[in-house]
Amino acid sequence: MKLVSVNVHALEIPFVEEFSHSAQIRLASDSVVVRVVNEDGAAGFGEGAARPYVTGETPDAMVEHLVRGLWPKLAGLELPDPVEDGLGSVGALIPEMAPPGVIAPNAARCALELATLDCILRATGSSLATLLPPRREVVVYGGVITAGSIDKVVRRARQMKIVGLNDVKLKVGVGNDVERVRAVRQAIGPDVSLRLDANGAWNLEEALKFLLAVAPFTIAAVEQPLPRGAMGDLKALREASPIPVMVDESLVTVQDAEALVAEQAVDMFNIRVSKCGGLQRSVEIARLAAQAGIGVQVGSQVGETAVLSAAGRHLAAYLPDVDFVEGSYGTMLLVEDLSVESVRFGHGGRASVLSGPGLGVDVVEERLRKYSKRVVDLPGGAKR
Amino acid sequence: MRTTIEAAFSHHVDQLTDSTPFRRLECGEASSEDFDRFLANLIRTHVKSPQLVAFLYALAPPDASGDVLHNLLEELGIEDESGVAHPAMLHDLAARAGLAPVLPELERLAADDLRRIASEPLLFATLKEVGLAALCEVVAFEFMLSRVASRIERALETHRGLSPEALTWFHHHSEVDIAHAEQGLRHIEDYVRYYGFDEEDARSLIELTQRENVFIKRYFTQVSPTTASAGGG
Repeated sequence: MKLVSVNVHALEIPFVEEFSHSAQIRLASDSVVVRVVNEDGAAGFGEGAARPYVTGETPDAMVEHLVRGLWPKLAGLELPDPVEDGLGSVGALIPEMAPPGVIAPNAARCALELATLDCILRATGSSLATLLPPRREVVVYGGVITAGSIDKVVRRARQMKIVGLNDVKLKVGVGNDVERVRAVRQAIGPDVSLRLDANGAWNLEEALKFLLAVAPFTIAAVEQPLPRGAMGDLKALREASPIPVMVDESLVTVQDAEALVAEQAVDMFNIRVSKCGGLQRSVEIARLAAQAGIGVQVGSQVGETAVLSAAGRHLAAYLPDVDFVEGSYGTMLLVEDLSVESVRFGHGGRASVLSGPGLGVDVVEERLRKYSKRVVDLPGGAKR
Repeated sequence: MRTTIEAAFSHHVDQLTDSTPFRRLECGEASSEDFDRFLANLIRTHVKSPQLVAFLYALAPPDASGDVLHNLLEELGIEDESGVAHPAMLHDLAARAGLAPVLPELERLAADDLRRIASEPLLFATLKEVGLAALCEVVAFEFMLSRVASRIERALETHRGLSPEALTWFHHHSEVDIAHAEQGLRHIEDYVRYYGFDEEDARSLIELTQRENVFIKRYFTQVSPTTASAGGG
């Protein structure tokens, strides 16, 4: 089997409401969806979400890297059978090429890996669950409360309680944080797990002062308290913090994971399929975490569509030990999602594992075109 | 509670009437395809409304069930001998607007919308919460139509050339129907009381259902076929 054409869609799907944190305000999804087609006309879909402050990619740079860098090297190659040859056989086809100024072109890599997997598996009638056998029938998601006023975060917290979510993450690092944490804890009650995410907003001193102040509110973890790169400070914070420390922006590559493990700098990893460069690398990072006794959160991209949510669902169902799962918000955040059937979780954050062919979601191509602000169509590239 | 609900509904009505596609319809700047797309979306949105009202009737508190039954009979066109079912009014609108060729597809899409609502994982723990969310959406549309239907009716008559006979559905839902909207607001309060909702929980649930402007979404965001897009006249 060979891939003969690709369509790269740079999306703009409006959000139901603004989503903001210390590093960004978002009003729409800017995911890039890749549609590949094999010589028999079977299509597969993948998705990545470029984040300049995480992997260094922008949506435009991601599209360019896909169409000029990755696709010409992949098009026309004989594809493996991942059911026989393993998940890594597909990842191995995607060349290592990093455009200048990018930490790692992981969103582009993820989109192409997922699309290729989806195409191969659909063509053979197999589910991704064959490659990543689920260890649980239901994946339980938590909620994320965007940065905002005390009134706004309290209202959102109450809504999450109505929906029965068992764990909630609050964006912090935007000022008035201790009061907001206190108010959210009061709104959700003592039985709901609460995490905080600063998106790298603090230095060591600020982080420690804040964590000591909010420790009485029973915080399960603080995510990315310091900016990426401050490994020594991260380790010092972990040693002094009364709250477990999780990394997100500091964990982009497998090499990041190895360094964090070697330094014993953190308690938890936030593994996001797009940020980490696809499923193969996400599984590898999770394996390193398990060996080192580091906890795992399977995270998501704000504004991801059903395609990336499906990949996250498979990963969360497959990994042996997962502490928290985020994502699958679907039309709770997007005005429309791309899939025929909703992948949104239900009451209690519960969602069934996906068992359909490929990633397990069918894309409504009309919607994909409707929300594409830019589409690049390419036939097969250079043969190897 | 009622103040919160009315404020949310009014905000969404204002957003709708201030939106670019609505203003273009109203001032006649919209293309004929835009008008047809709007009509198709409107028909798709409302053509199954008796089924939704029937669901609300099933859950209606005793004090409100008489009113909801009356609404249901009206939707079905059997509240009096001269009644016309509301879906039939929409079928007539489609026929007079030249959208008859796509009506079967609109019916199919409307049925699929219901199927998806029923198939999607439930966000709420009990049926009483699902019912409150559904009641809020239905009353929101009644509230909006009682304030906006005659403006839409005028726009369709003036700029799309539709006859008053074609626009009967709008007449039924216009300002003359303001009593329905008022009744709906009371029903939400009755419902919350009857099912023993904690007021804060009810408010949170209503706010959750009102995060999104469902009028703009249904009338302008969804993609419904028109005769032009279906390759017809």
